[in-house]
Amino acid sequence: MAKKNFVLSGLMQSKVTWAVIAELLILMVCFMIRPDFFSISYQPSTGMLYGSLIDIINRSAEITIISMGMTLVIALGGTDLSVGALVAVAGAIALKFLRWDVLTYTTPGDYTVCPYILVLTIPLIVCALMGLFNGFLVAKGGIQPIIATLILMVCGRGVAQILTDGKQFTTGYSPFRIIGQGSFLYLPMPIIITIVVVIAVALFTRKTAFGAFVESVGVNPSASRLSGIKADKIILIVFLITGLLSGIAGLIYSSRIMSNDSNNAGLNFEMDAILAVVIGGTNMSGGKFSLAGTVVGSLIIRTIVTFVYYFGIVAEATMAFKALIIAVVIILQSEPVRKYFAKRSRVREAVLISGGER
Amino acid sequence: MSEKNILEMQKISISFPGVKALDKVNFSLREGEIHSLLGENGAGKSTLIKCLTGVNQKDEGKILLDGNEIQPSGPHEAMELGISTVFQEVNLCPNLSVAENIFVGRQPMKRGGIDWKEINSRAYELMSRFHLDIDVTRPLSYYSTAIQQMTSIARAVDVKAKILILDEPTSSLDENEVQLLFDVMRDLKAQGMGIIFITHFLDQIYAVSDRMTILRNGHLVGTFDINELTKFELVTKMVGKDMDVIFNLQRAKVFKDADYMLKAEHIGDISHINDISINLKKGELIGFAGLLGSGRTETAEMLFGATRAVKGDIFIDGQKTQIRNPFDAINADIAFCPEDRKRDGIIGDLSIRENIMLAVQSRKGFMKPMTKAEQTELADKYIKLLKIATPDCEKKAGELSGGNQQKVILARWMADNPKVLILDEPTRGIDIGAKAEIQRLMLEMCTEGVSVIFISSELDEIIRCSNRIVIMRDREKVAEIDGENCTQQDILKIIAEGAA
Repeated sequence: MAKKNFVLSGLMQSKVTWAVIAELLILMVCFMIRPDFFSISYQPSTGMLYGSLIDIINRSAEITIISMGMTLVIALGGTDLSVGALVAVAGAIALKFLRWDVLTYTTPGDYTVCPYILVLTIPLIVCALMGLFNGFLVAKGGIQPIIATLILMVCGRGVAQILTDGKQFTTGYSPFRIIGQGSFLYLPMPIIITIVVVIAVALFTRKTAFGAFVESVGVNPSASRLSGIKADKIILIVFLITGLLSGIAGLIYSSRIMSNDSNNAGLNFEMDAILAVVIGGTNMSGGKFSLAGTVVGSLIIRTIVTFVYYFGIVAEATMAFKALIIAVVIILQSEPVRKYFAKRSRVREAVLISGGER
Repeated sequence: MSEKNILEMQKISISFPGVKALDKVNFSLREGEIHSLLGENGAGKSTLIKCLTGVNQKDEGKILLDGNEIQPSGPHEAMELGISTVFQEVNLCPNLSVAENIFVGRQPMKRGGIDWKEINSRAYELMSRFHLDIDVTRPLSYYSTAIQQMTSIARAVDVKAKILILDEPTSSLDENEVQLLFDVMRDLKAQGMGIIFITHFLDQIYAVSDRMTILRNGHLVGTFDINELTKFELVTKMVGKDMDVIFNLQRAKVFKDADYMLKAEHIGDISHINDISINLKKGELIGFAGLLGSGRTETAEMLFGATRAVKGDIFIDGQKTQIRNPFDAINADIAFCPEDRKRDGIIGDLSIRENIMLAVQSRKGFMKPMTKAEQTELADKYIKLLKIATPDCEKKAGELSGGNQQKVILARWMADNPKVLILDEPTRGIDIGAKAEIQRLMLEMCTEGVSVIFISSELDEIIRCSNRIVIMRDREKVAEIDGENCTQQDILKIIAEGAA
């Protein structure tokens, strides 16, 4: 009994626990208002499962994927503001390669001008290189990450505009549609891609020593250097990963709308990704990170948005409502609140233990 | 110099968690006096200054300024009371002009705007009082560190200070700049200002001060007139003899014909060390003695690649080796426990296990990870071997006591099987028991063939452990003596007076 309570006290102090509790609470509210909220049905026409929960996970794909990289950046003690702009860049490049010369190929249809392999790989390569550029400024230039990534945040969308001559291309190419709207194993494709990405990042950080090195550099750069860790290399890799993941998110996003949108694609994604990481329990000052927590954080953000759509809250109030719930979640996770609950459960333990001895 | 005290600090005590930083310390400063404050690191000099400037609050005691009791709540209030401080690091705005820096926050105004003419002419006047004929409208960063230092003094002086505190103002100045600073100090003294001067350079103390106060481990050793103590007596009083426990330690046995494990020939870095050579045999332990700032740490950092040696050659095991960064050093089987355990050693938020495996893992690179089981096995082995007091290896390293943290760092390097181990003040700030333990481990490693460089401010521990002792003074190696037949007196004499 006492042992169990010690575990409880440990859980009470963990930020991830509170994130999970918050998510469950929001879902409970949804369930109370709409009892069919949890129902999942199979739609033979699309070959997909359908339901609010599926929808939440599906729509959170982009943020979840980006925030995997953001978790590592934040664990290093930095932030990457350019991720949203890179989403726009990836979409613009993909659509550019699909349509190439709009004057020749005037109507969108089920075709691609350049080989499909280029449509998929070039955006990812460019985004990875842009991430590397961020990393280079931070690691070699010693520029604060928030400033270094501000450069691409501002000029990324400009690059996207230039690539597409400021136009919005649309496409009907069906293999491209699969990325954002297709399905696999009854699940929407973005969910499958997200699962693959999360597992890949988790394996890369936890099955190698990479995660430990990131945490070490995040906690104490000087001591890490004197232990032989090449901090520069770690920083470069982390920003490269984040760039690449933003590219993947960009492809999903543009496949959903079958178009590029240099102004709105990925707008405010950097804020949502940072929020997801923070709600997930990774400290902004760097150090220990939790990928699982980040996934929960991303789901919370999407659940709130879905909640707002479902319950007819006026569109203008969406942002305010989202901010309100996030504020509550973050306060619940704050040090004093967690300490308070941990202390209470410890007191109960003490009572139980002393009671047992008597 | 008059006999009138402008400042009196009576029976000042300050405690931090676990340490008594100052214990009933008395200090007085006369009008028109340069008073040196001396002591090794951790003696309580900066705590005393911080108490005077209101950064730290005293637990007991009284501060009297011109006979009135004061209780400054922070540096700003202290400044208004007439106590100005110039810190070691210049804390001005490099992108503002010299004049702006002097007057920032209290610009003279005229017709609703800043009176630039007044600022610049007054700044010029102030600087020329220091015999500096410079363009005060140029940005501060345009000028040398010495002039930047003067600017902060000018700023301090212009706020009508009665007391000026100079905390290691000379550490980044060259010989001429130091003389310039001294002239300014003498000028201010002639005007009746009381100056508290903190430095590690003994010659400078004798060149400029009237009296000195020595602290050791938070206690007052005494206040003396400058002629009252010879340099030798001064050093003896500073270092003291606080090790009463006698350890039963055996010095490492080095075979005469043993090969040289590490040979550094005429190495030097950009700023601190000019030219130093060190030879170290297999299984030998050499001690680095010298006061703080004598270049001990800088030499060690250079050997480990923490700062880059720009000249000279380093040979490891007979092979010429390029050491550009710590990673190169680790690959050359060199290990380094840094002086500042908190800043450069322990990674507080990570577990003991992760702290111990770090050096081994970084040599392998992150793509060849140790499994968690391997890490735990490694950590448990060293927790047992070094008697690290912890329930298990998953405890955060930052939550351990100082001595145990030091053992974790030692374990990190022992796990990496180094050939050369450099320990910079490994026993500072830890209790006697842990000290003895660490010395024992060090000597045990020597018998296993590891060569050790041991840096310490405590001479008796250097003498007890070393085969040879390298003595550093003012960033130079001044002597190298046999460790077995020397006394503390011999070393103190060389530290105080240079090689005979």
